[in-house]
Amino acid sequence: MTTPTLPPPPALPANLLTGQLDEAATLVKTRGIIKRFGGLLAVNNVDFDIPRGSIVSLIGPNGAGKTTFFNMITGYHTPTAGEIIFDGKAITSTSGKKVRSMKPHQVTGLGIGRTFQNIRLFGTMSALDNVRIGLNIHLKSHWWDSVLRTPSMLREEQDAIAEAMGLLKLVDLDTRSETWARNLPYGDQRRLEIARALATRPKLLLLDEPTAGMNNSETREMTDFIRRLRSELNLTVLLIEHDMRVVMGISDRVTVLDHGEVIAEGRPDEVRANPKVIEAYLGRAATAGA
Amino acid sequence: MTGATRTIGTGPGAWFGYIGSTLAGMPAAYRARLKANRRRTIGLTVLAVVALLYPYVNHTFLAAISRNVFPLPVPDDTVTTFMTIFAIMAIGLNIVAGFAGLLDLGYVAFYAIGAYVAAFLASPHWAALGLNIVFLGNVPAGSAGVHLPFWLVVPIAVIVVATFGALLGAPTLRLRCDYLAIVTLGFGEIVPLVFKNLSQVYFSLNLGPININLNNVNLTGGVQGINPVDPPFLPFLNIKFDAQAGFLPVYLGIAMLLVAVLVARNLEHSRIGRAWMAIREDETAAEMMGVNTVRTKLLAFALGASFAGISGAFQASYLGATTSDFFNFSTSILVLVMIILGGIGNIWGVIVGAVTLVYINSSFLPYLGQRIQDSAPFLPNPAQYNFLILGVILLLMMRFRPQGFLPNRQREAELSVAGLAAADVSLGVLPELDNVSVAPPGQSETGPDARSPEVPGEGEDL
Repeated sequence: MTTPTLPPPPALPANLLTGQLDEAATLVKTRGIIKRFGGLLAVNNVDFDIPRGSIVSLIGPNGAGKTTFFNMITGYHTPTAGEIIFDGKAITSTSGKKVRSMKPHQVTGLGIGRTFQNIRLFGTMSALDNVRIGLNIHLKSHWWDSVLRTPSMLREEQDAIAEAMGLLKLVDLDTRSETWARNLPYGDQRRLEIARALATRPKLLLLDEPTAGMNNSETREMTDFIRRLRSELNLTVLLIEHDMRVVMGISDRVTVLDHGEVIAEGRPDEVRANPKVIEAYLGRAATAGA
Repeated sequence: MTGATRTIGTGPGAWFGYIGSTLAGMPAAYRARLKANRRRTIGLTVLAVVALLYPYVNHTFLAAISRNVFPLPVPDDTVTTFMTIFAIMAIGLNIVAGFAGLLDLGYVAFYAIGAYVAAFLASPHWAALGLNIVFLGNVPAGSAGVHLPFWLVVPIAVIVVATFGALLGAPTLRLRCDYLAIVTLGFGEIVPLVFKNLSQVYFSLNLGPININLNNVNLTGGVQGINPVDPPFLPFLNIKFDAQAGFLPVYLGIAMLLVAVLVARNLEHSRIGRAWMAIREDETAAEMMGVNTVRTKLLAFALGASFAGISGAFQASYLGATTSDFFNFSTSILVLVMIILGGIGNIWGVIVGAVTLVYINSSFLPYLGQRIQDSAPFLPNPAQYNFLILGVILLLMMRFRPQGFLPNRQREAELSVAGLAAADVSLGVLPELDNVSVAPPGQSETGPDARSPEVPGEGEDL
């Protein structure tokens, strides 16, 4: 976690900030996403693009629909209408009026890893095993390989352990690999969750409030770490965050949701200056957090 | 865990090499354990030797003493055999309920299917339909009915039962907790009833070339069941493992039990075992991390059920008969109580639970009942109140040792209040409220109406 000097971020597409993206530079594209829960319109007609290699923040007041949007990208919720395209592949398909979505594990297989707002580690499994669950989707051995302990399965397990240990080292948890996840301190659990998400070998990493409940120095470390992930692992990061210093410091683009609708989009400084945003969100947060 | 890294080659040669080196490494591993924990290792060794010698000693000495000198509460050979039969079933149910956390109240159905498969494949039953096949085995050629050797019957029973396990699993995969328990309960009731009632089948189907006409055909033997079923037969040594064979069937049971333990352990410490545990802990998170929950749960059902196939086939062959009365709801509950008492999730624990309960149920309580009848016939016979007594035992266990005799560490932590408190402390770093605004715990980001009407459980807050 402690890197005094950060490598420079990779060159981003020149048209990133103008919002005019060509197909190849867009990792996630959503068009007209709507999600209704009974009478509640959680997400309303959201068009959203995430450029490859960028760090994009999704902000908005509580109940704005951010997590619902996350859940639709990962296949946990099926949108009521609209389409989601990830890396050129459609996550949703529409036949008639009915929208179908890929299953979450299929979406994970495409290359989307995520963390949760309330940490959802496997509490009584070791840190190492938590990460190995993330690797599960890339393991090929069958159950009969496990029963017979075939050489291919044993080799695969050895490789998986090595890879998981590498990820634990990345998040500075390699010395606690045998500790149960629930017995780790809070900050470690946050990082372990990221390591588990990285084990799925994602192209897109979704972080749901990664610095919630952290103090200033922990928050700074986490911010540096997210930047490092982007540059070293070539990841695209979409994060939901309430801490405005994190959002403004780390994001290439910021999208603001309010009542399920996009009310502003653009560079952090643009969004910060947008009167609609100040009204809906930043006004409150700026006075509270400054 | 895998322990030290070894280089592993490819192909079957490497497999034999691995098995060989594992076996060759056993004495050294044993010495290492002896060094690490001398008392425990010696204790376990003595226990294993006693357990292996017990059926023989019991048959030759204890039972004789009990018969001729002084009545002792020792199990007879049949009870000891049933200990192994139930231990194998407990291991199987432990995979479904212990590892994957899926409550299965109809496990007896698989036991019944296993037994009937054995009866169908090794008895004169089909002679009535003019089906006579004798293949290998101890039965003279030309005998009436279908006769396959036990060693072939068991794998077939395992495959058939695993298929039924998957069939039961498939429609129940979207169900969780109570709903799953109810559906499996229904399955456990239906299967024995089907076997009981398919004794007079009328069925006709005329589809061009296909012309099936069954007129009062006895498929399952009805209330009488099917008998005789061929006993397991070991060629060369000429051993029949039937009820007259004394302690020998116990050793056959122990051998199959050891195979079951090996298979269950290998599954537990593997990719699939980890996925089961992840599903048990947090199914949603597991799914989001790429675990195919449908496939994984289906495998738990199928693989867990297959153990009951071994038990059922062995039971029918050993007793030489099968009737649907063996397979009632109380057997499902008995197996479930075994794994709860023994320590759900722990393979050795559930074996201990199975042995204990079979002993109490089939040996100790009847013994006690006999003694009471002899000396004080006006007192109630405890053997008739066995489920009442098991219930009291279960209650006492839940009060004083809810994790079971030999608990699984993870299951124990999930149960214990202290463990929960510790988890709360580790999560209890409160957000600094001046620079974050988070929804209060329990309040959903999508509002109180978040539950989607379309898919149950979809509105769960992540």
